[in-house]
Amino acid sequence: MVTREDVLQMARLSKLYIKEEELDALTRDMDNIIAFAETISAAQCEQTDFDNISNLSNVLREDVVLPSYSREEILKNAESQDEGYFLVKKRS
Amino acid sequence: METNFSKIKAAGRLLSSKQMSCEELTKRYLAAIEKENKTLNAYVRVTEEQALAAAKKADEKIMRGEVLLPLEGIPMSLKDNISTKNIETTCCSKILQGYTPIYNATVWELLQNQNAVLLGKTNMDEFAMGSSSETSCFGGSMNPHHTGHVAGGSSGGAASCVSGNLAVFGLGSDTGGSIRQPASFCGVVGLKPTYGAVSRYGLIAYASSFDQIGPITACVEDAALVFDAIARQDPLDSTSQGKKESASASLTKELKGMKIGIVKEYFEGIDKDVAAAMEKAMETYRHLGAELVECSIPELKYGLPVYYILACAEASSNLGRYDGIRYGYKVPHYEDINEMICKTRSEGFGAEVKHRILLGTYVLSAGYYDAYYKKAQNLRGVIVNAFQRVFDACDVILAPTVPMTAFERGQTQKDAVKTYQTDICTVPVNIAGLPAVSVPCGFDGKGLPIGLQLIGNHFQEAVILNAAYQFEGATRENGAFRSVEMGVAL
Repeated sequence: MVTREDVLQMARLSKLYIKEEELDALTRDMDNIIAFAETISAAQCEQTDFDNISNLSNVLREDVVLPSYSREEILKNAESQDEGYFLVKKRS
Repeated sequence: METNFSKIKAAGRLLSSKQMSCEELTKRYLAAIEKENKTLNAYVRVTEEQALAAAKKADEKIMRGEVLLPLEGIPMSLKDNISTKNIETTCCSKILQGYTPIYNATVWELLQNQNAVLLGKTNMDEFAMGSSSETSCFGGSMNPHHTGHVAGGSSGGAASCVSGNLAVFGLGSDTGGSIRQPASFCGVVGLKPTYGAVSRYGLIAYASSFDQIGPITACVEDAALVFDAIARQDPLDSTSQGKKESASASLTKELKGMKIGIVKEYFEGIDKDVAAAMEKAMETYRHLGAELVECSIPELKYGLPVYYILACAEASSNLGRYDGIRYGYKVPHYEDINEMICKTRSEGFGAEVKHRILLGTYVLSAGYYDAYYKKAQNLRGVIVNAFQRVFDACDVILAPTVPMTAFERGQTQKDAVKTYQTDICTVPVNIAGLPAVSVPCGFDGKGLPIGLQLIGNHFQEAVILNAAYQFEGATRENGAFRSVEMGVAL
């Protein structure tokens, strides 16, 4: 059973605001989905930790230093910046 | 069986025989987009300038008498979650409005190396979360076969533009069916490659252990040609493997003796017209010399909850990066950094995306992690093994792509669980990282296309594409396919 408090707690953790008028409908939807997800609780499976879907291994490149993006490019999409840094308002 | 349905080859012949310049071909597509996109809403951004520049390059090469590369000069589209340098890429979300990547996705880099002509970026469900493309901040993409119905999703725009002849091919992405389902709805071919076959570098992440980029095309041969062009090991994606069997060179193998698994769980509760089309498809395969093997994967009943738990968990983590600081939308007014991030995310994300973030956060949170996330992860292993059991006895699995045909506009927003259940035939493939292709196999009573899904073992793209190719050759002239009267005829 998902409660209004659960939804508010999840919203806090994921940095989302929920409007008071949306909360009941959202709680109901979440509860429906969780009830649906609940069907797996009856499933029997060994407690071995799942690792990999197809025995793939990572293919890693040589660890050599290569040129990367310039500071100007990285900052291009930031709305607020100052002297080559992202600008973020101080926490009050 | 040899077929001659390839639009990539038809366009290539027009260009190399100088019957039409690439500039003219490109302009025809741009004019068709101008005319039809109001109805289809397949493109969210048209890249006319880049397209004409690429066309000019191809024309110069033709004038010099040089041989064109397989995809050179071919007008195509990219889903809006595939990063394109200096071209806005938004995942059809308000939170990424105005974002122009500073690098290309590897798939686009590979296609650009062949000088493919990018017509534009295609519509999709916001962050690829949805089955109708209607969660897009630009509104849904419509079905060229019946514009009162959706193109499907999440790669709805990619399927719509290929079906409506507004691009020769498109790249989409498939996390739980997002290439195959719209391909099925729009009567075109959609290939979801094996996890690790195609680089995900530059694909804006939804659920990283499920996502794969693949082609949406007018026929099976074109899907093989595009797959061959994009399946590479990439130093920028360590999960990409670079398996090298050419899919397009494997298309003419006989099916005699091929064992096709009919997994009964895939056929439970499917629409009557879809069931009839599946029966006909099985009959076609018998005629082609394949042997049908009945089998069962009871574990498939856990497919949907396992998928939604794991995909939402990964999404909640992947979407944590959108904070308004480094790129994308940022609210204008706020008191402090916490309020800035919360307001930006609350205004920037649409309802479905917020739903999935909350759900993902829930299943990962203390107290619920073992019951949901860990259990689903273990069941993922169980489903992987169950598929391997079937592939011990069969070469491919035949199933419907979707249990129904295209939804009417506005139908999917009403009941989340019911909408999620329509993905029942597509998600198991992503859970197990398998390749699968959807190929048109008929129509329902309303004239809406039905798709046949062929699933293979890991890295067996050549096998499923050959099986699809033989089917297409045997059925296409007999009503399994109908081209739409709009866009550019090739």
